[in-house]
Amino acid sequence: MSAAVAHSVELRNVSRWYGNVVAVNDVSCSLAPGITGLLGPNGAGKTTILHMMAGLLRPSAGEVAVDGVAPAGNPDIYRTIALVPEGEAVQPFLTGYEFVHMSARLHRLPDAPAAARRAIALVDLEGAQGRAVSTYSKGMRQRIKIAGALVHEPGVMLLDEPFNGMDPRQRLQMIDLLRTLAQSGCVIVISSHILEELNDLANNVLVMVAGRLAASGHSREIRRLMTDRPHTFTLRSSNDRALAAALLGDESVFGVELAESGLVVRTKDRGAMTRNLARVARDGGIRLLEVTPTDQSLESVFSYLVDR
Amino acid sequence: MSGPFDRTVVWLTWRQLFARRRLWLAIAFSLVPLIFTVFYRFASDDQAGARIGFFSGMSRELVIGTLVPLAAALFGTTAFGGEVDDGTLVYLLVKPIARWRIVLSKYVVALLSTIGVMVPSLVLPWLMLRGPELSFDVLRGFVIGGAAGAAIYCALFLSLGLKSRRALVFSLLYVIAFEAVLSRNLVGVKSLSVREFAVAISQAASNGALVLKGYVVPMNTVWTMSAILLIGALVISLRTLSRYELAERV
Repeated sequence: MSAAVAHSVELRNVSRWYGNVVAVNDVSCSLAPGITGLLGPNGAGKTTILHMMAGLLRPSAGEVAVDGVAPAGNPDIYRTIALVPEGEAVQPFLTGYEFVHMSARLHRLPDAPAAARRAIALVDLEGAQGRAVSTYSKGMRQRIKIAGALVHEPGVMLLDEPFNGMDPRQRLQMIDLLRTLAQSGCVIVISSHILEELNDLANNVLVMVAGRLAASGHSREIRRLMTDRPHTFTLRSSNDRALAAALLGDESVFGVELAESGLVVRTKDRGAMTRNLARVARDGGIRLLEVTPTDQSLESVFSYLVDR
Repeated sequence: MSGPFDRTVVWLTWRQLFARRRLWLAIAFSLVPLIFTVFYRFASDDQAGARIGFFSGMSRELVIGTLVPLAAALFGTTAFGGEVDDGTLVYLLVKPIARWRIVLSKYVVALLSTIGVMVPSLVLPWLMLRGPELSFDVLRGFVIGGAAGAAIYCALFLSLGLKSRRALVFSLLYVIAFEAVLSRNLVGVKSLSVREFAVAISQAASNGALVLKGYVVPMNTVWTMSAILLIGALVISLRTLSRYELAERV
């Protein structure tokens, strides 16, 4: 690993629009060696950001710098950068080995066959390297793409949804591999729409919502932000009105509304509310028929972070 | 690696062009004139002057007028188009290779493949018919003319493959509408027709063994227009690839 230089990725007030559609809106961040997670729902602009970092898209405004250099229109930067694109597109007529070996040769590595074998061993695909990629499973394709990307020992690795299709064992193995790379000085950026995937992996998580940087911090902190947000439940019971009156006495509840669908309850502390609910209902002799969390969708979690 | 081509890009393009059934299609293409020649050889009386008439007519219309542009359309548009379609172009774009080298490598493979289809389609019939009146000079004329036509067609269709996702359809439309119908029937359009350039070059390269009927575009026009089309198309490909952006659907 080229540890002599400290690698870095910098975005300064970067925006990118396609016609009238703003995909990325005024994002600034500075990434050092280690693993950074790029978290957000689909369409939040994660891929656009990764492609701008990889020099495949020019920002409409602002500046992108990888190791201090603008990557767009500068093919030499790919000695440093590696991109693992989203999706399963790999030339289907190549074998796994041919794909990685091709990557090594395109990088003009002095000993391409050895570099290819090393990379394939890192992703644990030696057994399948002689087979055509068209026969690979989703997870195997992800891994062969990663092998192709790390064959030249990059200093900056950009991975777009790399865990898609991997089983838990493969994921753990990949996490180990990425950690090792990060420790040796590699800047790693991983996009994902699932927070759990980044748990304990990314020391730094950037949350993207609708093209904006909504929050950033350690994955533990992002998780806390997401679980401590206000929650809404819809309840149905034998006596909604009595239950509403009783719940207002609970400190964790800050809003109760009698709606047609039932009783809508807003709480700051989901855990405390659900524990108290059973007690309040029992004390009042009210039978609970249904308790439904109404805002569990990822979008609502993310939009809370934006409004915060 | 020195030199204008990247060997790995050449290898990859080669694999792309001949993946699946395209190799068989190419072989079938190149054998069509031979089949016509076999029919001709056994079905017609062999009068003086007939052989060269048949051979040059077939080479001009079937090989240079149809097979070369079709093969160039197939290989030229697929050289980039295949990778644009399936999203694997990104693997070439994130490598430290100068863009012009990628363009030239893809171009040379498309060109060699087209010539590879063309050469047997001329040589095999010639071998069957060759004789005092159908000399090697005639064959050489058509091979050089056809190769020149292939060089321009491939450059045009390569840039089309980068510009449009429906490149193959557009290039076939061009071959049929412009080359096969318009330029055949309107003399004024002949000085814009790659097919007519190739025909004129064939005649010029045959050491006088070939004297074609009808209007033949003057060589001055041929050289000027060929250079403009060839260089123009390659520059467009280079510019398009250098500015190529992977768009995300938003």
